[in-house]
Amino acid sequence: MRPTLVLLANHATRILLITLVGGFLALALARLAPGFGVDEREFDARLSEDTRAAIRQSHDSERNIFHFYFTWLSGLAHGELGVSPSLNQPVRLLLAERLPVTMKLLAWGLLVGWGMGFGLAVPLAFVRGCAYELGANAFATLFLCIPAAVLALFFLLTRSPSALVVGLVIFPKVFRYARTLLRQTAMLPHVLTARAKGLSGIRIFLWHYLSPAAPQWLALLAVSLSLALSAAVPVEVVCDLPGIGQLAWKAAMARDMYLLVCLTGIVTLATVMTKSAVELLGEFCRVRI
Amino acid sequence: MNSRSRVLLSLIFFFVTTLASAQGGGQLRFCLRSDPKTFDPVLVDDDPSERVRYITGGFLMRLNRFTQQLEPELATSWKVSKDGRTISFRLREGLRFSDGTPFSADDVAFTMQRLMDLSLHSPTGDAFRSGDGKVQTQVLAPNKISVTFPAPIASLDQHFDQVAIMSAKSPKKEMAVLGPFYVSDYKAGSYLQLNRNPNYWKHDENGRQLPYLDSVRLDIQGNRDTEMLRFLRGEIDLVDNVDAEYYSRVQTEQAGSGHDSGVTLDPEQVWFNQTPKSPIPAYKRAWFRSTNFRVAIWQALNRDDIARIVYRGRAQSAVGMLSPADKFWFNTRLTTHSYDRQGALKLLAQDGFRLQNGQLFDRDGHLVEFSLVTGAGNKTRERIATMMQQDLSQIGIKLNVVPLDFPSLIERITRTYDYEACLLGLTNMSLGPDAQMNVWLSSADNHQWNPRQKQPETAWEAEIDRLMRTQASSLDPKKRKEAFDRVQQIAWEQAPFIYLVNRHALSAISPKLHNAQPAVLQPYVYWNIDRISKSAEVASK
Repeated sequence: MRPTLVLLANHATRILLITLVGGFLALALARLAPGFGVDEREFDARLSEDTRAAIRQSHDSERNIFHFYFTWLSGLAHGELGVSPSLNQPVRLLLAERLPVTMKLLAWGLLVGWGMGFGLAVPLAFVRGCAYELGANAFATLFLCIPAAVLALFFLLTRSPSALVVGLVIFPKVFRYARTLLRQTAMLPHVLTARAKGLSGIRIFLWHYLSPAAPQWLALLAVSLSLALSAAVPVEVVCDLPGIGQLAWKAAMARDMYLLVCLTGIVTLATVMTKSAVELLGEFCRVRI
Repeated sequence: MNSRSRVLLSLIFFFVTTLASAQGGGQLRFCLRSDPKTFDPVLVDDDPSERVRYITGGFLMRLNRFTQQLEPELATSWKVSKDGRTISFRLREGLRFSDGTPFSADDVAFTMQRLMDLSLHSPTGDAFRSGDGKVQTQVLAPNKISVTFPAPIASLDQHFDQVAIMSAKSPKKEMAVLGPFYVSDYKAGSYLQLNRNPNYWKHDENGRQLPYLDSVRLDIQGNRDTEMLRFLRGEIDLVDNVDAEYYSRVQTEQAGSGHDSGVTLDPEQVWFNQTPKSPIPAYKRAWFRSTNFRVAIWQALNRDDIARIVYRGRAQSAVGMLSPADKFWFNTRLTTHSYDRQGALKLLAQDGFRLQNGQLFDRDGHLVEFSLVTGAGNKTRERIATMMQQDLSQIGIKLNVVPLDFPSLIERITRTYDYEACLLGLTNMSLGPDAQMNVWLSSADNHQWNPRQKQPETAWEAEIDRLMRTQASSLDPKKRKEAFDRVQQIAWEQAPFIYLVNRHALSAISPKLHNAQPAVLQPYVYWNIDRISKSAEVASK
């Protein structure tokens, strides 16, 4: 019991530290980027000197990133995420409205990507050197070469569901990894023994291919999630989907510190938590096996 | 009454009220480029919010975008005092906000007080800040009010075109409006639904209540390619501001949908950095401060070609700071600087520049080469910059184009001054010189080529300062026009800004829309949204 608790505590500490550092690094990058603290409204000739000065002063609290981060974290402890200066809306509200869009996009993307990648890889565990292998490899390589933004543009023009783009970005990686993993598993002694004993194909596949490699599959799932999150930004921008990917793009363009620190925190948290969950599950599977 | 009867009655009531409030004019759909930052009309400072304010707000008077004349709206009449400090309004009676709250002079007083509240920093209010002191509002009767400013304001009445009246008493605050539509639903990043205001006061010639449309749906669509694609597919009804490239496509794919209303107020312009504290070499600053150099560059640029190639003929060579679209204020005595490569070389020779093996050198032997910053991702400006490169290479000048993202660009031209020349387009939201004060006064922040001067550094800038102050303090339109004509003349001669082209107001309008009358002032298409309809029957009744 005690080692499990220590393990969980270690993971929790790691998640917290990485998220905090990630948030700070995002702030530092935004602060150092050219154009920080500049507001395009300053260019509006209709504004008076006072208004322009007020606009400039509105960014004063963001200049010292240590102070800003500390204040933001204090607010976070009270459930306050701040107000986005570029969109003039509470960050919490913006996230609440946009997170479901991205979650849906990711869910469909993962489903499509895994469905295609895994679906194409499974037959290759049993057969080799045929036209199917050549075709499947070429198909996966093709999508590996096309940038997510170009795919998104194509899907936009053809009015196809944009979730497919995320799926097509993930699929080549899933396909290649799954193919290799399944082939390696097929050569393991226990699989050969099971075959020799005349067990059914489905049973061998489920119990002797998939189960022993569960930690690797889970690791692939974590990688897929990171890939899907990265793909969500260009897809949402090109297809004008109001998710957090599009929000991240707008925040970066406007050097919006409140949004950037929150979004980096969310993405880092999601990635690190998935990784930790996979590691913990892997550990659990290893112990069980 | 049992529960079933109650439900039935409620349903009947719902359908009857829905039918009664519907006009049958349909739903108008178009796009906003980004989310509006605010629905508070006093705090509007971005384009989407301004568009929403235009559609939902009730105004005391409005500038007719077609005739460029002020027309009475909530105020039936108004009078500006001789000293130019006080304006008195007589208001329409019996009007109500969208939520049913009655409208009176108290609402105008409340709006003016909020507008002039220094702590709110209202951009709309800035137009009325003429001097130190408080603005006084005096409610003379429920339908009469006078507003007194601390100092005279030129074109005082015209500034009210931007002032949407808010309710002093409504619990809905800024969401209670007097315009043709009110905001009924908003999903950030996705859409904005505006429904017909059942209490809108206007009626057409046949006594029928306006607006004709039942609702307006504004989709938030940042991507202009997608917006055009959606228009061509019939998913939206109009695109208010179309690029020349898309305009040709609209004309090809949907003949009759493209509308060219003529030249706009908006110029594309180039200026050189003349700021003394800028980190550019002194010899380059000396070039940029030479009138001959600037006028030579102006003459060396083939602006007709830019209009023909970049804008596909949907622009015209700019004359100066104002375009002919500003019917009253444009100085008609000015003509565009002619494209004259030899003339440009002669002017440069007067300053000691010499052309040698196809390259231009200054009198100290420095090769004439400079960079031009502009906004990255703006295809039109990138093409203009390429054409400028070609034109200037003809007189031996090497131009390096540096596209920058907008915050970086603004940082360079307003803070660090780390640039040599800049290409940008300005959007003129109002007619005449009122919004130009912050550009032309040498002490102003937006005096782009050399901002925040303690004293005017040149005689012609001192003269412009004097003339701009003269026109701003005068209440006689004739005197104002004379002074501003002279400012235009000096700007044309000294060329602190090199004006390239004035683009045309291009829009795409679905044939399903009726009563749309595209104009050259923004908003181009839906400035008369209360009369637009998607039903021919409704529009012609």
